[in-house]
Amino acid sequence: MSGKVLKVPVQTQTPASNDDVVQRIGNLVRMLRDSMRELGLDKEVEKAAKAIPDARDRLSYIGTMTEQAAERALNAIDRAQPLQSELSSRATGLEQRWQDWFEKPVELAQARELALDTREYLAAVPGLTESTNKELLEIMMAQDFQDLTGQVIKKMIDVVRGLEFQLLQVLLDNVPDGGGRGDLQRRVDELKGAEVRREASLLNGPQIKAGEPDVINSQDQVDDLLADLGF
Amino acid sequence: MVNKSMNILVVDDFPTMRRIVRSLLRELGFANVEEAEDGQDALSKLKSGGFELVISDWNMPNLDGLEMLKQIRGADNLKHLPVLMVTAEAKKENIIAAAQAGANGYVVKPFTAVVLEEKLNKIFEKLGR
Repeated sequence: MSGKVLKVPVQTQTPASNDDVVQRIGNLVRMLRDSMRELGLDKEVEKAAKAIPDARDRLSYIGTMTEQAAERALNAIDRAQPLQSELSSRATGLEQRWQDWFEKPVELAQARELALDTREYLAAVPGLTESTNKELLEIMMAQDFQDLTGQVIKKMIDVVRGLEFQLLQVLLDNVPDGGGRGDLQRRVDELKGAEVRREASLLNGPQIKAGEPDVINSQDQVDDLLADLGF
Repeated sequence: MVNKSMNILVVDDFPTMRRIVRSLLRELGFANVEEAEDGQDALSKLKSGGFELVISDWNMPNLDGLEMLKQIRGADNLKHLPVLMVTAEAKKENIIAAAQAGANGYVVKPFTAVVLEEKLNKIFEKLGR
């Protein structure tokens, strides 16, 4: 902020004493406060400050969702890996036994046992691969966080843009002509369009906090509401 | 018996979600799935014909899911098309608005594979296929 706007009355030409400095700063703060109030900027700043707790909630929602998704995927992998190992090691064992038998095909009883074990293995394969498939599906479903956090991030971008707009407005109203004014004005104009665009009330995105009024917390509640409505 | 070769249009602005829904549908045996990235894109695809089911997000740029649904219900050649909403919008007023606009089902994100299957089956049952 330029000192040219907030002219503090110079009371003395001699080096300022501590008391003078304190008084000057006091004057400056008072003038700043008064001019902000006159320009209605205190309201703007208040509006900007109000957006911050909401932004904090959104960020923590993003943090929670991404953490849950990562854990969900890693847990599914932990469950799938032993299944894959079992498939592999049992196949390797059987293959080795067949190899041995083909090299020395003597005992018929041995071959019979081997055939039975192989058959048992084959019968187990579909169950094991199905379980692995389920885990793969779980890993896929865990990626749904990207849609939900993506929506919240888009909203965050709007909040940040709003904050930038308010702050630039405060600066702009306190900077004299010339200097960086043209640049500030250009940035404010760029953001203006975004500031005007307000979300319709039916587009709120994911619920970032549980227990909000009029908000459904589960699919069952959706179904109940629809049933109540006769759908 | 549900015709598994039916053409389904999945509408969502997030490619990840389109992929997830498409994979779930494939898992359920539906192979003919196409995608649209918003309501406008979906309407132009629907107008070219051949679709028997729409699964749509709500909050999308250009044309949102509710507006798209209203336009579908208002179009002579599309008005009977079943539309399943799959959305993160979870306010009572959203669900009521979607139902009033003629949605055939409402799934709140995040959802499970089981829920999607259940809602699809419910739609098919009502259609008497």
